[in-house]
Amino acid sequence: MNSGFEKRPIVIWLALSAITILQLGIGSIDARAALAGKAAIAASVIGIALIKVRIIIREFMEVRHAPVLLGRLTDLWVVLTGAILLGGYLAGTAFPKG
Amino acid sequence: MTSIASTRSRAHGSPETERFVPGQPDMWAFVLFEAFVFTAYFTVYVFSRARTPDVFRQSQMHLDLRVGVVNTLLLLTSSLFVARCVQAAREGSYRAATTNAFLTMLFGSVFLVSKVREWAMEIGQGFTFTTDEFFSFYYFLTAIHFIHLLIGFVALAVAVRQLTSPARRSQVIVETCATYWHTIDFLWVLIFALLYVMR
Repeated sequence: MNSGFEKRPIVIWLALSAITILQLGIGSIDARAALAGKAAIAASVIGIALIKVRIIIREFMEVRHAPVLLGRLTDLWVVLTGAILLGGYLAGTAFPKG
Repeated sequence: MTSIASTRSRAHGSPETERFVPGQPDMWAFVLFEAFVFTAYFTVYVFSRARTPDVFRQSQMHLDLRVGVVNTLLLLTSSLFVARCVQAAREGSYRAATTNAFLTMLFGSVFLVSKVREWAMEIGQGFTFTTDEFFSFYYFLTAIHFIHLLIGFVALAVAVRQLTSPARRSQVIVETCATYWHTIDFLWVLIFALLYVMR
């Protein structure tokens, strides 16, 4: 067995778990800050989540070994999702309810 | 259908020269479709949240962030095991592959129990689907993910059946099942961030 091939998923899992535990810190922020601060926190939360998602897609789902087209399609979804979510958030702040 | 033996070279060939689609391409079309559907759900959520941030923040305080973290770690661990299952099958270690598939099921099951327990606690405290917008999204997103996870168990059962039957073994099918399971994992990573972490 190729030991390098065995270890890589464990290293990836450790990295993803570490990021998840670090998210505890972000989640503990009491966001009674200014609007700009809230948008920055929202952008950070979305960004960190999408980085984790991309790592799962590239590593666990083996897209890094897949044809380039599949990698581009999945990256396109990641980028579009980030842009749409941030856009949706900013649009929501522009049209507050009540 | 591709046999495990005939695709074993994938594990040893140079990734740069032997690129391959993991699993069936149809599954990838489904994964991308599902991903965009969930993007639509998430967009409505963040839009609604930004319109009434105080309602969402106050209701969100009733969720235990630590439970969300533990659930995320459970699914990440299940993803690790299903990735190892694919590796082991590719190398012809069918027993190890089956063990890893069962470990995936184990961590997925603990996630299911944890999720039902969390729902029971929230409902017990009076927070239901109709309490407010936040809890409507909370129950909708977690329930639809829960259903996807249940389907994931069917996929894992298919993988185990493939691995335990020498006449039926197909690396492509095992990879297809794993691809579906990983999709459930990465969708949860986003749900966790939006429901539990976002402030």
